[in-house]
Amino acid sequence: MPIQIGLGISSEKDPLLAARDAVRLARANLLTQKFSLALVFSTVDFAHPTVLKTVHGLLGETPILGCSSFGILSNQRIFRSGLAVMLLSLPQDVCLNTACVRQISAKQALVSGEELGEKLLLGFKSVRRALGVIFSDGLMRDSTGLLAGIQEKLGISFPLAGACASDNLAFKKTFLYANGEVLNDAACGMLWGGKLNYGLGIRHGWKPLGKPRTVTRASGNTAYTIDMRPAAQIYQEYLGMDLARLRKELKRISILYPVGVNFAEGEYFLRNILSIEDNGALVFQGNIPAGAAIRMMIGTKESCLNATRQAMEEAKRGLGGAHCNFVLVFDSVSRHIILGRQAGRELEILREGFGRDTPLIGIYTYGEEAPLRAINYQGKAYFHNQSIAVLGIGG
Amino acid sequence: MFSVDFMINILGIISFLTIILLVITLFFKIEQMKTLQASFNKVKKQLDEMDEQAKLIMRTDLELNKTQEELDKKISGLYALQKLSRSIASTLEESQIFNMVDPARLAELGFEKACAFLWDDAQKRFLPQINIGFLAEEIEAIKNLVRAEKDKFLALIKSEKTFSSLSGLDPVLREKIKATGKVRAFVISPIMPKEGESGFLCVGTEDPDFFINEGDEELITILANQLGQTIENARLFEKTWRAQQDLEKKVEERTHELSRLLDEVKAISKRKTDFISSVSHELRTPLTSIKGYAAILLAEKLGKLPPEIRERLEKINRHSDELVHLVNDLLDIARIESGRMLMKKEPQELKELVATVEDLLGVQLKQKQIRFEADIPAEAQKILADRSQLERVFINLIGNACKFTPEKGRIGVAARKTDGSVQVDITDTGCGIPEEALGAIFEEFYRVDNAINQELKGTGLGLALVKHIVEAHGGKIWVKSSTGAGSTFSFTIPSG
Repeated sequence: MPIQIGLGISSEKDPLLAARDAVRLARANLLTQKFSLALVFSTVDFAHPTVLKTVHGLLGETPILGCSSFGILSNQRIFRSGLAVMLLSLPQDVCLNTACVRQISAKQALVSGEELGEKLLLGFKSVRRALGVIFSDGLMRDSTGLLAGIQEKLGISFPLAGACASDNLAFKKTFLYANGEVLNDAACGMLWGGKLNYGLGIRHGWKPLGKPRTVTRASGNTAYTIDMRPAAQIYQEYLGMDLARLRKELKRISILYPVGVNFAEGEYFLRNILSIEDNGALVFQGNIPAGAAIRMMIGTKESCLNATRQAMEEAKRGLGGAHCNFVLVFDSVSRHIILGRQAGRELEILREGFGRDTPLIGIYTYGEEAPLRAINYQGKAYFHNQSIAVLGIGG
Repeated sequence: MFSVDFMINILGIISFLTIILLVITLFFKIEQMKTLQASFNKVKKQLDEMDEQAKLIMRTDLELNKTQEELDKKISGLYALQKLSRSIASTLEESQIFNMVDPARLAELGFEKACAFLWDDAQKRFLPQINIGFLAEEIEAIKNLVRAEKDKFLALIKSEKTFSSLSGLDPVLREKIKATGKVRAFVISPIMPKEGESGFLCVGTEDPDFFINEGDEELITILANQLGQTIENARLFEKTWRAQQDLEKKVEERTHELSRLLDEVKAISKRKTDFISSVSHELRTPLTSIKGYAAILLAEKLGKLPPEIRERLEKINRHSDELVHLVNDLLDIARIESGRMLMKKEPQELKELVATVEDLLGVQLKQKQIRFEADIPAEAQKILADRSQLERVFINLIGNACKFTPEKGRIGVAARKTDGSVQVDITDTGCGIPEEALGAIFEEFYRVDNAINQELKGTGLGLALVKHIVEAHGGKIWVKSSTGAGSTFSFTIPSG
């Protein structure tokens, strides 16, 4: 029997009513009453402990995993306010473990990643591991460290997909959901094993522009110098603006012209700028190593939509023609801003690609994790910005 | 063999040749390097040029994106405003109008916070109408600010202008609004319905990247105007509704009163009909006896009568006939009124019916040399009527015409088909009816006060009976006349 899915989304204004409504709909859409996991995603107006307690109370001991988001994508429409509950009933040959790590900032991100990896591995000694899915706090500085920690335990090339929770673009607080709890400064994940068929595609659609540059001094997610000059100068030169104006327009510029970190085989992953320090250093949303070859990147709404199409096609190729039971989408919030009124077209591409009736749930993220395509990187997952990760899961 | 010198010379020559070869090679290498350097410089130059082009592309792209964003913002704003306007205009309940402002639509305009106040002239203070996005303590602080600075807010409304954190507003008040509402940018616009109290709408955002422009001020002005217009409509509707309610109440009261009066009239009418019917029946029995005895006496079955007695008896007989006629008419009216007399409606030929009546009245017409003309076209021939009753109608109307038309006059009967019925007009060249009598002519016992009526006897029931018969057929009867100009009695009867 394939994986059974029951999806319920409510946009009731009252959070408690929404919780009850979403669970009721999810249950009604699920053919069986036995379920192994509940994925819960909500906009920040529903990120409330009472909501999670209600969902938890209604679902009993079923593990709950999820996070807050700027909006919710579904095969119905995009919800700018709502609560989604996806119930999963797994066949006997597919197994799953969920785990959670808290107070990341008090430990090192790397250590927290290792802890999460270890917890996820519990009970998986005699089972073939297939895929890991991670949700983490969107305001965490060292997402790369967390990912590295997980890879340390699960294996460097172990396939991972992940998303950083988001809020309503206030960048104030993002929320993780683990069973009946609402958490900050945390990460949680699920490890799938057994006979699982899946396909994963990640794309951004941005193209390199201008001369290749080299990060000459960097630490963590801060690049101090590029080509031996203060890092911000590269943006000042390209856009012909002083530092003050650059700071003022940073949010827009960061989304329109992210930095592309060049890996082999012409593949780039993107980095958005979070802030500019007084010494001209650029603080990125994700690590950037010293010596990295970087380019300025440019794109359009059309290239954004093409990336969605490509990610979807790649996920479908990964499924090898098998039926897709459900789709998980981790879509950068920046892409939503760029697409603006055309955000619906992106969802339409996914719906057309996977079939309108295939259950689809997605969130807008502050960072995405997925493997690069390049063969040299042997499927190693990286932390991305401004990308769309599409995960199709079959039986 | 070879001497050392020779060997040295040979080596020298070889060295020399090697050096020359090396020099030549070096020369070529240098040339090659120069070429490579030139190529490298060329590529570097091209790369630099491309980089400069990239800078141009990025700057142009940034400008394009900004324009696009502005355009998108305006389109989204107009779209959200249209939705908001439609939603607001969907209610005519004043208390519900502000609830129709959807926070999601407001967010599409770029504002996540909003409040509105309306001035209450009776309480001399602003009353809060809406709170979107403000925390409880924030909205309380805003209420206090509005209370404390009510004169400034009233002046703002009076100015009929929209202000924002960008321009126009008193700097002290601007900073107070920003601090109290915890907003970085805001727009405040008066709400001014034509009637009743005015107020203001204030929208704001915490978003540090949101920069208010004139377009935002215009959109919020339109929204505030829409609110004002809807409040005005609601107030007008309330007023009209109340007036209508009052009117309906009055109409109901009057209808009730009229209904009561009608019931009374019906009861009186029924009593009258019953009374007439009863009295007529009581009169008819003795009348029959009187007439019978008078007839026996006049037949001289009881002995020869002296002429004086015969004359008196003939008077008794004639008056008895008139009385029987009167009683019969009264009984017929009573029967029709009470619904006891059913009209046996059957297809009739109008022309033939009129001819019969003409024959019946032929003597009178001939005596007064009255010209009788009947104009009944083929399409008005067929009627549906109770023949004997309709004959009574014609006898009464033509008889009356004959009575009031002087010698050598004219009486005309004309018919024409109207919608579903036939209209019959009986016209005479008689003395006519005074205008003041026209309204009462069909009433029972009414007789027009003129010389002919004073001379000729009549019951005053003829036209009343005619009216009852016509109406019992589902028709109408009316008269057009004036003194000295003859009369036209018209009635309708269902066509066959």
